[in-house]
Amino acid sequence: MQLKTTLSLLTCTLLVGSVLQAEDYVSVQYVYYNEDDGRTTIHTPAMEVSKDFGVDYNLNISVVHDALSGASPIWYDSSSGATATLNEGTLYKDDIVYADVPYDDKRTALGMMLTTRFASRDELRVGLNYSDENDYTSRELSAEYLHYLDSSKNRSLSAGVSYQNNDVSVYCFEESCDASSGASGVMTQRVDVWSAEIGITQVIDVTSLLKASLFYGNESGYLSNPYMSVVRYYNASARLTPEHKPERRTAYGMLLQYSKALSERLSANMSYRLYDDDWDITSHTIHTELYYEWTQHLTLGAGLRYYVQSEASFYSSRKDYFTNETDASSDRRMSRFDAYNLMLSGTYDLQNNTSVNMGMNYYDQPDHFSAVYYTVGLTYRF
Amino acid sequence: MLRAVRSMRYIVILLGMLLLTGCSMKTVQPWEKGTLAKKSMQRGGGNTLMVKFTHHIYFSKEASKGGGGVAGGGCGCN
Repeated sequence: MQLKTTLSLLTCTLLVGSVLQAEDYVSVQYVYYNEDDGRTTIHTPAMEVSKDFGVDYNLNISVVHDALSGASPIWYDSSSGATATLNEGTLYKDDIVYADVPYDDKRTALGMMLTTRFASRDELRVGLNYSDENDYTSRELSAEYLHYLDSSKNRSLSAGVSYQNNDVSVYCFEESCDASSGASGVMTQRVDVWSAEIGITQVIDVTSLLKASLFYGNESGYLSNPYMSVVRYYNASARLTPEHKPERRTAYGMLLQYSKALSERLSANMSYRLYDDDWDITSHTIHTELYYEWTQHLTLGAGLRYYVQSEASFYSSRKDYFTNETDASSDRRMSRFDAYNLMLSGTYDLQNNTSVNMGMNYYDQPDHFSAVYYTVGLTYRF
Repeated sequence: MLRAVRSMRYIVILLGMLLLTGCSMKTVQPWEKGTLAKKSMQRGGGNTLMVKFTHHIYFSKEASKGGGGVAGGGCGCN
C-alpha cells in the first residue's frame, strides 16, 4: 500500500506535461544555431537545476546565455552604408535596398519556479523570469494553479496568469525624441504583456492522455522593432522611416495536445495550435514527435512541425506601398509564410544516474531562410 | 477578431465535451500510470531546456506565441 501511495504521488506529479518532474537533477545543454547565407549565428550554453524539498516543494532554476551575431534584412540607404539604417531624409530611390545589415548581441536570462504541493496534491507554481540584453530588459512574474478534479487524479484543471514588464532602448529621430533621450539620442520605451491560460488534462487510459487549453495575450506599448524601417512616398520624394506597429495587440488561441504510448517502446506526442490576433494574424501549428526506446539505455526521437500564418494588416514588402499610414511595417515576420521544423534526437542513459543527449533541428521558412541547430547536453539525476 | 470568437466557441464546446466524457472513462489507478509518466510521453522527451530554446526560436522568427504555459520570460528578439 505504501508503495502504491508513493507511486501515486510520483506518477501524478510526473503526469501532466507542464508539471515539474519529481526527481532532482542538474542539466547542462549547449546549442549551436546557424542560418543560411551567413545570417544569424547563436551560441547558447544553458543550465537548469531542479530540486525537491520534501514532497511538498520543488525549486527549479535556469540560466541561459545567448551570444548572437550575423545579419538581419531591412530597408536601408546603401549610399550611407549599412550602419545608417534609419537615415530619415529624402533619398535617391536607387539607394534604397532591402538587404542584410550586420548586428551582434548578448542575452542572459534567469528563470526561477517554486512549486508548492498542497495536501490535496493541487499545485501552485510561482515563477520569476529576468532577461537582459544590450537594448532590452524583461521582467516577468507568473502564477499557475493546478487542481485535480477527481480523487484518482485522472483529470485536472489548470489556470495561470503572467505579467511582463519590458524596457526597450530606441534611437529617436527629431520629433520622436523626448526628455529621456538626452544627448545620446537613445530613449527608453516600455512594453507591458499580460498572458493568461486555462487548460484541462484528462487521462484517457493507461497509455494516453489529452490536454486542451485556451490562452490569451495582451501587449501594449512600443511593439515596433527599433531596427526595422519602411520606405514611404517612394513615388514622390522617397523617405526611409522607422517601422510603426500598433501600440496594442490582443491575441487568443487554443492548444490541443495528445500523448499516446503506441507500444511498450514507442510513444507519440501530437498537438494542434490555433492563434488569432487583432493585427489580422491567424496561424495554425501542427506538431508531432515520436520517441522509440531502442534499448534500455538509448531513446531515439524524431519530430515534425508545420506552421502557417496570415499577413498582418499593416505589412507590405513593397517599397512603393506606404505613404502616410500610421502603422507600417516591412518586417518579414508580419508576412504570410509557412515554416517547417524537422527534429532528430538521441538520449543515452549511463549507469551512474547520468544521461547524455544530442539533437539536430532543421528549421525552414521556404520564402525567407533556413537554419540548422545542434544540441548536446548532459543531465545528472540525484 | 470575429474569427477568433468563432474559433473559441468551438474550443469551449470541445472543453465541455472533454469534461463530460471524462466522467464515463475508465478510472486509471495511480499504480497503472507508469507508462504515462515516461519522459517520452512529454514534449521534447522531457528535456525542458531544449523545449524552452525551441520555443525561443519560434518566438523570434514567427508572429504567434502562446499555449505553452504563461511563464517563459521576454526578449527583444521579435
